[in-house]
Amino acid sequence: MIRTEEMLLNVGPQHPSTHGVFRLVIKIDGEIITEAKPVIGYLHRGTEKLAENLQYTQIIPYTDRMDYVSAMTTNYVFCHAVETLAGIEVPERAEYIRVISMELSRIASHLVWFGTFLLDLGAVSPFLFAFREREMILNFLNELTGARLTFNYMRVGGVKWDVPEGWLEKVKDFIPYMREQLSGYHNLAIGNEIVQSRLKGIGKYTPKEAISYSLSGANLRCTGIHSDVRKIKPYSIYEHFNFKEAIRNEGDCWSRLECRIEEISESLNIIEQAIEQFPKTGEILGKVPKIIKAPPGETYVSIESPRGEISCYIASDGKKEPYRVKFRRPSFHNLQILPKLLIGQNISNLIVILGAIDIILGEVDG
Amino acid sequence: MSGIAKGFQYTLNQLTKEKVTYDYPRKPIPLPDRFRGIQKFHPEKCIVCNQCMSICPTGCINLTGKKHPDPTKRGKIIDTYDLNFETCILCDLCTEVCPTGAITMTNNFELAEYSRDGLLKNLQWLDENDENIREESIL
Repeated sequence: MIRTEEMLLNVGPQHPSTHGVFRLVIKIDGEIITEAKPVIGYLHRGTEKLAENLQYTQIIPYTDRMDYVSAMTTNYVFCHAVETLAGIEVPERAEYIRVISMELSRIASHLVWFGTFLLDLGAVSPFLFAFREREMILNFLNELTGARLTFNYMRVGGVKWDVPEGWLEKVKDFIPYMREQLSGYHNLAIGNEIVQSRLKGIGKYTPKEAISYSLSGANLRCTGIHSDVRKIKPYSIYEHFNFKEAIRNEGDCWSRLECRIEEISESLNIIEQAIEQFPKTGEILGKVPKIIKAPPGETYVSIESPRGEISCYIASDGKKEPYRVKFRRPSFHNLQILPKLLIGQNISNLIVILGAIDIILGEVDG
Repeated sequence: MSGIAKGFQYTLNQLTKEKVTYDYPRKPIPLPDRFRGIQKFHPEKCIVCNQCMSICPTGCINLTGKKHPDPTKRGKIIDTYDLNFETCILCDLCTEVCPTGAITMTNNFELAEYSRDGLLKNLQWLDENDENIREESIL
């Protein structure tokens, strides 16, 4: 009888498929994983502690660096929390700009995920196509905010810049182009039998497990649970738009891919409606004092980021700096189910399961 | 097998499409006016109000002022202005708070240096950085 020896293997922290500095210590028996232990913290910068010594406006650039693939949503969750605590009203035009930029960011984020996920599977060309479209979105956001990734665009009470001339028209023209490309992705990779057989039935979990591990976003919706914060607890102006929540029932890697692809097309629908309803005139920044002081108290808000439910808790003692800031970072929570999913799997499925969770290490480590 | 054939067809169709990559080091990359690059400093406009120093989230700006040489004029003028690009995150908050527009962003972004000391830029260097200055003002 052939006897296999148990081997300890380090995956990461510099392995490209770990999407950052994520380390995984696994024990393998032949090709089967018997134990997996994630090691995190290589990118920990202590954002929450740093925030205690910074004014509210100064914290916004730090939120850019948490979820650096979709910085608009982390910008928004912090500003939204301060606005809720201080009771600041945001002009409608600013809200529309925020929604358009957040949804563009969501599409860019899902494109990064789609490209790199298939790259992990061994398909190189979808990555190039996805990044081509992402580059167009980054150019739009660069034109609007002056940066490609770390936008620092949202402000407490509004946004920093108004939309440049002709920008909305360009975004409007991008929508049909992106829809065409999405159908191209179906031809290129999603409809590919090899991709499907690699993903179907892999990394499966039940709705009960998903809830007990506190998963959110596409990781939870792939098990059939309604959890889109934009639908169940609308914030900003999301109740003005008609869009569907991407839901699947299988709970495997394939259903997560389908959920995210559907989310891209729903985001396009939201942007289309937002451009149609866009107010022609109006302020972009509400009445906000130069030095913001939130009244003593605490608040907790949550929004839907591309990775799941991102929340911000602020406790204030009435000073210009917050007393405590806490972010519920969806990548961190989603990652917790990984050791459970990996046990008993073939080592070739490791990167697929990790990739399907969609983690951003800046967010995991805070 | 039809899925694989469709994939091949899609890739083949791309062959005739226009190139999307940039010929970057040889040709400059087109950047929008709002792009946040290395700052340009106008010493004559600065009133030494210290607002940029206090808003900077990473504390990378250090400045000192001196009395106006003309005794008939009140206020201060800038003496030294140091910007440490080792810690600067180009967040644009300094230009946002400046009441006189003495500090503005440019489209220049190439900051690589052979030594870390080279990243500490002084008043003269920031004053001479006067190409591709942002035209749109937030004031």
